Amino acid sequence: MYISAKKPLLLLIITALIAPTVFGGGGREAAPAPARNDMVIVLGADPEHLNPGITTGYPVAAATANVYSALVWRDAEGTPQPDLARSWEVSEGDTVFTFHLRDNVQWHDGQPFTSADVKFTMEEILANYHGRFEGIFNRIASIDTPNDNTVVIRLEEPYAPFLISLTVFDAPILPQHIFAGQDPLNHAATTAPVGTGPYRFVRWDRGSQIVLERNETYFGDLAHLERIIFRIIPDEGSRTVALQTGEVDYIWGFYLPSAGLQELRADPNVEVWQGVRIPALHFMFINTGNEPLNNPLVRQALMHALDRDLIVELAQEGLGNTAIGPMGAAFPYLFDSSFDLSRRYPHDPARARALLQEAGVGEFSLDIVYDSGRPAFADAVDIMRDNLSNVGITLNLQPQERSVMIESVYQQRNFDLSMQSFTSGGDPSIGYHRIYITQPFGRPFVSATGYSNSRVDDLLAQAAITVDLDARRALYLEANAILAADVPLIPLFEEMSVEANNQALRGLRESLDVRDRLHRAHWER
Amino acid sequence: MASHASGSLGRYAFSRIVQAVPLLFGVIIVNFLLINVAPGDPVTALIGDFPAPEEYIQTIRQQYGLDQGIGTRLIRYVAQVLRGDLGFSFHYRVPVLELVTERLGRTLLLMVITIVYATAIGLVLGIAAARWKDSLLDKLAVGFATVGYSIPVFWSGQILILLFAVRLGWLPSSGMQSTRITYEGLARIGDMARHMILPILALSLRYIALTTRLTRSSLIETLNSDFVIAARARGIKPTRILWNHGLRAAATPIITIIGYHFTFIVAGSALVETVFAWPGVGRLMFESIGARDYPTLLGILLIVSLAVILVNLITDILYALFDPRITYD
Repeated sequence: MYISAKKPLLLLIITALIAPTVFGGGGREAAPAPARNDMVIVLGADPEHLNPGITTGYPVAAATANVYSALVWRDAEGTPQPDLARSWEVSEGDTVFTFHLRDNVQWHDGQPFTSADVKFTMEEILANYHGRFEGIFNRIASIDTPNDNTVVIRLEEPYAPFLISLTVFDAPILPQHIFAGQDPLNHAATTAPVGTGPYRFVRWDRGSQIVLERNETYFGDLAHLERIIFRIIPDEGSRTVALQTGEVDYIWGFYLPSAGLQELRADPNVEVWQGVRIPALHFMFINTGNEPLNNPLVRQALMHALDRDLIVELAQEGLGNTAIGPMGAAFPYLFDSSFDLSRRYPHDPARARALLQEAGVGEFSLDIVYDSGRPAFADAVDIMRDNLSNVGITLNLQPQERSVMIESVYQQRNFDLSMQSFTSGGDPSIGYHRIYITQPFGRPFVSATGYSNSRVDDLLAQAAITVDLDARRALYLEANAILAADVPLIPLFEEMSVEANNQALRGLRESLDVRDRLHRAHWER
Repeated sequence: MASHASGSLGRYAFSRIVQAVPLLFGVIIVNFLLINVAPGDPVTALIGDFPAPEEYIQTIRQQYGLDQGIGTRLIRYVAQVLRGDLGFSFHYRVPVLELVTERLGRTLLLMVITIVYATAIGLVLGIAAARWKDSLLDKLAVGFATVGYSIPVFWSGQILILLFAVRLGWLPSSGMQSTRITYEGLARIGDMARHMILPILALSLRYIALTTRLTRSSLIETLNSDFVIAARARGIKPTRILWNHGLRAAATPIITIIGYHFTFIVAGSALVETVFAWPGVGRLMFESIGARDYPTLLGILLIVSLAVILVNLITDILYALFDPRITYD
């Protein structure tokens, strides 16, 4: 009687426990088909939309850099190459740029592309909605279109990074026939883009994926791969796993957790690339309006107190360079060993204490505000707290969610120190000047230090309009010498980018910014 | 007689729904105020990481109604909700109702299967453990329940991924369907099922543990009660006692725990949906907080509150069906 009751029950237990595993069956998705025609790239989150003309956000540009085109693209060395413009001439004095556009370029909806699209995009969209292009547009005197295939742009005065600012990241060209007279924020093409690029938009399954397919009427060489799929994987650990299982093929540095690097390096199916393409600086804003941080001696003491090499080693997996000047070291014309901060302010707690004594300050505490969504920042801040406690400074950690951090640091200036990372945007005048020149309060993503030095302002303004590299270097040397002594902020290190892809992928990283030119990618044959 | 009973049940359900209306209003108002008082600005999420033109920022504020006072915004929001319109997502640029219902569907798919599966196993384990109390099986079940309850889902999720996706390569590590191949019809269902196995296993541990423990303890209590002892004295077979008397009496707490599981669907799914990149509503809620996507967040909270009220109602009605002592006259 007992036995008869036992049997079905046990059977049920066993069946229920193993059912899901049996149900699984099949092999992993990785098994490569004989001829692979697609590439799956990780995005960490859904982009806000798919209109690169109205934001400078990373994911939007990432998903659309191959849907739209621009006048130029930049090769791996940073040299501008023809894109929608097949050639260009620059006038004597570097103020008039004449672009000759390619013939027979079509938008993905079949409409012809003309010079009017360029003028419209720059004047009506980019100037009003694009953070980086706005600054460039303010230097433009006129944009003329003498015919369908020619665009003439006159600048008020020379602007050193003008040509390199015309890539798809700063100046994507949008279709006039779609956006003219419309509100670009709410237009259907803002979520379903129509471009001239090598890939056309197919669909966006929010939360899952964005699918692009080859544009068969592309004006350049047709893409090797039929489809590019952006797969949205929010969890960092799950991204590296997906690369190892072959579910995805490519993870850009922006989405690659340094914690998973070791494992990826050991995986024979994965290629890990590292190097510096578009320099980016990690630093700490100092609120120079607060006592005792208004004293340069105290700020110099902070430099000596911090062990920046240890921060790179422990918090950054070694991916950073501390032998830098106030604007890094990757742009050769920006750096000189005379203001190499690693030599000028080496880690030296005794020297830091002496400087604090000289400044006449005793023990004090500082609030450090940082983005809680960045694990590497949290690790770095822990090391800093330890460093600073050795010189009698108590560091109060204030991790804040990104949007809260932006409010505290830029709008309320409610911080003593704040860890940040800024990209150079490909030229110091695009990305680095903003952290040193005098700024009104309240604008996000510029200097929050309150530092103001009219000589530095003048030198940097001059550097922006100086095209000759030797002359430009002289200006930067003087500005950096002042900044190295004043220490309006603490440059920590220049970041080394790292990314990982399936080792059988070829043709990646042809461009300076790894996100465009994906039509050159192909599988090893 | 039967029609009388169902009539009173209908009246009961109706009065409960009427009571829910002020509750829902409270939910809307409290959530609206909480979200809007919290620091952070949705505009910063939209403009990118370079300073944006000032006029552009003003335009966004106007379009989103962020330039209005909080009182005006609240009144507008309530009026909008009364018209059945949950607004437009700042972040995703689609109507909130469309966004949330689509994501909720996917979460429900995952969670309903998990709860059904976990309840079935939990019941079986719990009944077996109670039936053969103090046996090896009982000890194993209790041990499993303790461990299963203590393991956080993000950890069990990672372990399952490492084992079944990385080492063995049997199952996909994340997502809802294969990216490279688009399946149709039955193959599509099979593909989705394969993607669901690991998240369901990770999620179900905790639910199995809870159900097992609760079923076991309430069944043991019932089996020790006077009427069971009396039944045994009358010579009724133990198996019949278990099925006919024990389970029916133990049903109420079990229904309670199942209802409880359902009310935690969104909160319970956020982690697992993040680890497995499952595009559900739990993850949507988490991401909406980060982006300060107020309309989406409010929409989710409203729909979830509605669901909780409904589930509680259904649970109460089920009590009456299983337990003759409970009536709603």
